[in-house]
Amino acid sequence: MKTDLTLGYMPLTDSLPLLAARELGLFREQGLHVTLKEEVSWANIRDKVIVGQFDGAQMLAPMVLASTLGLGGLHKSLIAPYSLNLGGNGITLAKSLFRDLEGMTRGRPGAASLKQLIHQRRLEKRPPLVLAVVFPYSSHNLLLRYWLASVGIDPDRDVDTVVLPPSQMVDHLRLGHIHGFCAGEPWNAVASAHGIGCCVATGRDIWQNAPNKVVGMTEDWARDNPESLDALLRALHQAGVWLDRHRDQAVALLAEHLPVERRVLAPALLGHNDYRPEAGDALEPDLLVFHRYLANFPWVSHGYWFLNQMARWGWLPPEKDLSAVAAACYRPDLYRRALADTPLPEQDWKGEGVHAGNWWLATNQGEIEMGADTFVDGEKWELRSMNFLHQSAPR
Amino acid sequence: MSQHPQHTRVMLVDDTPARAAMLEQALVDCGFEVVCRMASAQGLMKQVAEHQPDVVIVDIESPDRDMLEHMTVLNQHLPKPVIMFAEQGDSNTIDRAIRAGVSAYVVDGLNPDRVRSIVDVAVARFREFQALRNELQQTRTRLADRQVIEKAKALLIQHRQMDEDEAYHAMRKLAMDRSQRLVDVANDIVSVLGLLAPKTQRTRDQ
Repeated sequence: MKTDLTLGYMPLTDSLPLLAARELGLFREQGLHVTLKEEVSWANIRDKVIVGQFDGAQMLAPMVLASTLGLGGLHKSLIAPYSLNLGGNGITLAKSLFRDLEGMTRGRPGAASLKQLIHQRRLEKRPPLVLAVVFPYSSHNLLLRYWLASVGIDPDRDVDTVVLPPSQMVDHLRLGHIHGFCAGEPWNAVASAHGIGCCVATGRDIWQNAPNKVVGMTEDWARDNPESLDALLRALHQAGVWLDRHRDQAVALLAEHLPVERRVLAPALLGHNDYRPEAGDALEPDLLVFHRYLANFPWVSHGYWFLNQMARWGWLPPEKDLSAVAAACYRPDLYRRALADTPLPEQDWKGEGVHAGNWWLATNQGEIEMGADTFVDGEKWELRSMNFLHQSAPR
Repeated sequence: MSQHPQHTRVMLVDDTPARAAMLEQALVDCGFEVVCRMASAQGLMKQVAEHQPDVVIVDIESPDRDMLEHMTVLNQHLPKPVIMFAEQGDSNTIDRAIRAGVSAYVVDGLNPDRVRSIVDVAVARFREFQALRNELQQTRTRLADRQVIEKAKALLIQHRQMDEDEAYHAMRKLAMDRSQRLVDVANDIVSVLGLLAPKTQRTRDQ
């Protein structure tokens, strides 16, 4: 068994499972000696995994699918045997823009008022709004586009999209280079704490308990190192359990690794949703989930949804069999092998958008509680109806 | 595409100006045209649209890389789709490039041999630059080491009434006994004897 592993990660709140597994000695307990390498771009993470400099990495779920399809870079089969977290993203708009939206609507501003503002700007012949995401093939980009399209904003024609590293989002927003962004924590909280931006939608407002980052690796590596893979997933799983139970300590641990103030790390981890003043002191513990709700299971339906959205925006060759690609990249079989003594669902797919509140899922160890999974537009993805381009595109 | 090397337009994104200058010279010497050199990807899309490069070479440690990735899905807006390496890029070239810290974005359809030779030039320059940097670092370290050793010697002379030769040999012996480097022993001496130094003298030293 290969015991010396090098894993890449981006310094973000959802890299916590990797940091915690190292800090708590969980890798060691599984017989692994893991070196964590902080990276500066998602492209580096992908490329270093592909050429074998990294054994695996924290990855954007859609990036795994894109590389397997040969989109935008090196063509290599990557897999996602493990989901790192649910939720954790947010859309932040520049404060002045947010104030404008508030002036246009009676309730809390959302996508609908943004559409109105875009229309108004077009009449005034002003340039389109510029919105930033962290990577083209990211849950951030796909959630942002979904949110915009849910009210009929065409993300290709009505706004300009750019890509920026997450750590530069707030600076570019302050300098006025962009009008808003969709990024993971802590960057929404940083923009809000410094009065630069306001969060107009959290990931939960777009897709409740949406999948986000995964542990990714090449298919070849997973095939050649089954024992190392099992040990890695077991260590991360224990880290996830710990993280959901020790959020205060998680804040302290993260503060050692991110160059930001501790107060901006707390909201996502402790469930304080500062972006929703009307909610008062009520906590939203599901802003970011590391373990509960079977968060780490790589549901093939998650991969399928991402692929479907990528096809919706014309990024995929039309002849692709999306179910087959999703099943090749998302690998619940490997999760089941590594974590055989944990609760396992009967199926690898689940309906998405069909559970408005918490619900119970049958597993081999009895029923376990699952989180809601509804979409902003109420779209339902029943198991039997998951077909290619099931959803009608807005144009 | 009918291209002579001189018609292959290259753009460099590197925040290390000395290295970028070296690479530009090397590419020009090989007959390639360097149309633009940028320290960061600020305004990158505009520059790409303006210069229409065939190849963009980016320092792999640049956080701006992801910006270039975006061009692969933006092809309806840009004059030319840009992909990383060539679709059929040989894995050996890619592997060497990434290990040397070079990433390359290439216009779809560009002759693979041309891509390889540009990437090879970049890899060679990046390695050469790294070697220079390592050498400089080593020189700096040696200089710093020598300063620490001198300081330790001075403290020994002051506190133990040794002469310079005795002080040096005492340190050497300690280093050999402990199988440590001389500089590590010197560091220990400085941290211990530095604490013992009379307060008044220390303030005066500062």
